[in-house]
Amino acid sequence: MGITSRAVRNISRRKMRALLVIIALGFALSIMISIPAGVLANQKTANTVASSLSNIINQTGATINQTLTQIDCSLASSNSGFGFTPPSGTSGSSGFGPPSGTSGSSGFTPGQFGGGTVGGQFGGGAFGGGQASPMNESLYNDINTTISGIASVEPILQASEGNNVTRNLDFNGYTRTITTLDVTYVIEGVPLTADLVDNYPILPTNITAGSNLQAGDSGDVLLSENNSAYFGAGVGDSVSILGQSFTVVGIYSSSSVSETQTLYMSLSDAQAVTNNTGYITSFVVFAQNSGDVSSVASAISAQHPELTVTTAQTRESTLSTEQSTYTAALASANASNSKTNSTAIEEIVVVVLATSLIVLFVMLYTVKERTKEIGTLKAIGFSNSTVMGQFMLEGILLSVMAGIVGIAIGSIAAPTISSLLLPSVSGTTRFGGLAVASLTPELVLLGFGVAILLGTLGSLYPAWRAAKIRPAEAMRYE
Amino acid sequence: MSKPVLQLENLSKTYTLGKRGVPALTNLNLTVNAGEFVSIMGPSGSGKTTLLNVIGCIDKPTNGKLLLDGVDASELPENQLYKIRRDKMGFVFQTFNLLPYLNARENVELPMEGQGKSKVEQKKRASELLALVGLSGREEHRPQRLSAGEQQRVAVARALANDPAIILADEPTGNLDSQNKQGIIKLLANLNLMQRTTIIMVTHDAQAARNTERMLLLKDGKIVKELPGLLANKKNHTCPHCGSRINTTDDKCPTCKKAIFATDELF
Repeated sequence: MGITSRAVRNISRRKMRALLVIIALGFALSIMISIPAGVLANQKTANTVASSLSNIINQTGATINQTLTQIDCSLASSNSGFGFTPPSGTSGSSGFGPPSGTSGSSGFTPGQFGGGTVGGQFGGGAFGGGQASPMNESLYNDINTTISGIASVEPILQASEGNNVTRNLDFNGYTRTITTLDVTYVIEGVPLTADLVDNYPILPTNITAGSNLQAGDSGDVLLSENNSAYFGAGVGDSVSILGQSFTVVGIYSSSSVSETQTLYMSLSDAQAVTNNTGYITSFVVFAQNSGDVSSVASAISAQHPELTVTTAQTRESTLSTEQSTYTAALASANASNSKTNSTAIEEIVVVVLATSLIVLFVMLYTVKERTKEIGTLKAIGFSNSTVMGQFMLEGILLSVMAGIVGIAIGSIAAPTISSLLLPSVSGTTRFGGLAVASLTPELVLLGFGVAILLGTLGSLYPAWRAAKIRPAEAMRYE
Repeated sequence: MSKPVLQLENLSKTYTLGKRGVPALTNLNLTVNAGEFVSIMGPSGSGKTTLLNVIGCIDKPTNGKLLLDGVDASELPENQLYKIRRDKMGFVFQTFNLLPYLNARENVELPMEGQGKSKVEQKKRASELLALVGLSGREEHRPQRLSAGEQQRVAVARALANDPAIILADEPTGNLDSQNKQGIIKLLANLNLMQRTTIIMVTHDAQAARNTERMLLLKDGKIVKELPGLLANKKNHTCPHCGSRINTTDDKCPTCKKAIFATDELF
């Protein structure tokens, strides 16, 4: 009959009490391990939030710098694209009407293409993502030479492709049949010259598979992840775009929240495949330096009053506002994370104290209740240390059982407990996903260690009291 | 022939109640030889239990010497005393004091635990002792399944576990009915006769005391009188009634046919 089996029998002798104590301690211990789990999860989320915010901040900054010298020129205002769809009836073809359809000569002006028809109104413009009106490339060829301060010009042809869908819509009692374009992908043709490819941000940079388009590439296409899924094509595959076959050289991921539908190819390929040879939808002028931007912009406007000219200044102020919002969000995430940590420490101190006190009082009560037994044991020759060990072991055993219960509760309820007890990190929903506490093996071990430690601490004084009981007095105790 | 196993020299014990000292034992002298069965009688508050506790090393004397097997135990620290209690003493209590969550055998094994005996040895010895006190077959029974008399027998077996020099019994019959009283006294007397176990018993039961060898009367912390008990006659092989020769195994005098011990009716 060893000391351990005696301890076990003593605990099981008072099952109800042992059970209640174990459950109470178990809850305390589950709180004790759930809080660090929550803190870890919060920390992780805070890190995610912080890193994604600082990424955004850096990206925004980079974009500001990169586009400082950039001047966007297009014919239409931002919601242009009116009349830029094929006449209703020619289903499933290019988003903007082939010039051949209209007597394809000098400059397009807004409204010239199918203006006024309902089908046109709901075409590429409103639903297709701000597509600009086409313009004759040759009209702007001389810009580089006639206006000083220009480093390079990037003509762009953008065309939305999709299916025309005919719907009946009710307008104040009149039923009208309208045709809209459901965009499936957007072709962006950029001039793949060595100068532009090497020196200017004309192509996406975040390549996830394969490689980017190179200067001089022809018959090649760079897909977004969205496109890749739509075409069911990967790197090296060939895809058919408007009946023409292209080789996928790479796949990129957009840095923005929603994955883009834009695929990139050379300008000449784009013009050929969309049957728009000689036409572009916009061009970007890169000034030689940022100080020249406003003078270059006004020169372009003076020479071509039909163009809408957007400079970096206007973009920069928008981007700066965005950036300061993100910086503030980052600061608040950091602040709330440190608040979480201090709350966690306070709560753990309280729980540790509570747990030790539970063990202390239960064991004190047990010692008092068993005074006579202790007296007997000492009278028949048990040493102080054996008696002390006996009670320590009982306290520790109780705590270990409570530790098991605590880990069981914690593994089920850790997310609930930690979310109830800890303030969450701000910005988690927007930038990092909610923190969900989960128990790691380290935390389970920690829980066990803490249980044993608290059992030892809480039993120390009662066991010492038991050891110090004088047998002669204990005998008189009833 | 017999050497003293216990010697008390000018032993005093004073309890302190607040600032007042309450004398429990005053200048007490007593020698008990190995193999004697001594009973200590006295009115309540005469110091009987205090004396037993001091002898048993569970209480310390205030003054005087306590020699156990010639060794002075009065000055020993607690970390020595528990070994004396374990190896040289066997306690039998009025309320049996068995551990309720252990069975009879486990209760008897308890004192052997600290001695380094193997589990098998402990078990064997415990079973032998339970057989000696007449409880074979009851080894696995817990105290609540045993009668009061049986519980006290387990307690006697426990007291014998480490083959002690002295068995100290504090009112061992105090919580028993007359039949069980007689049984326990006979058990103790037989142990004394057969195994030559030294027994010191505190009792205020005159009949129980009469069946021992030496009857000491304690009053106000002093031994005021000593009388021979019936067991002395038996050991001297002399009938207490007619003076003729008897054997230690005899219950009645072969000559005058009277009971040597206080008989059943006397209890």
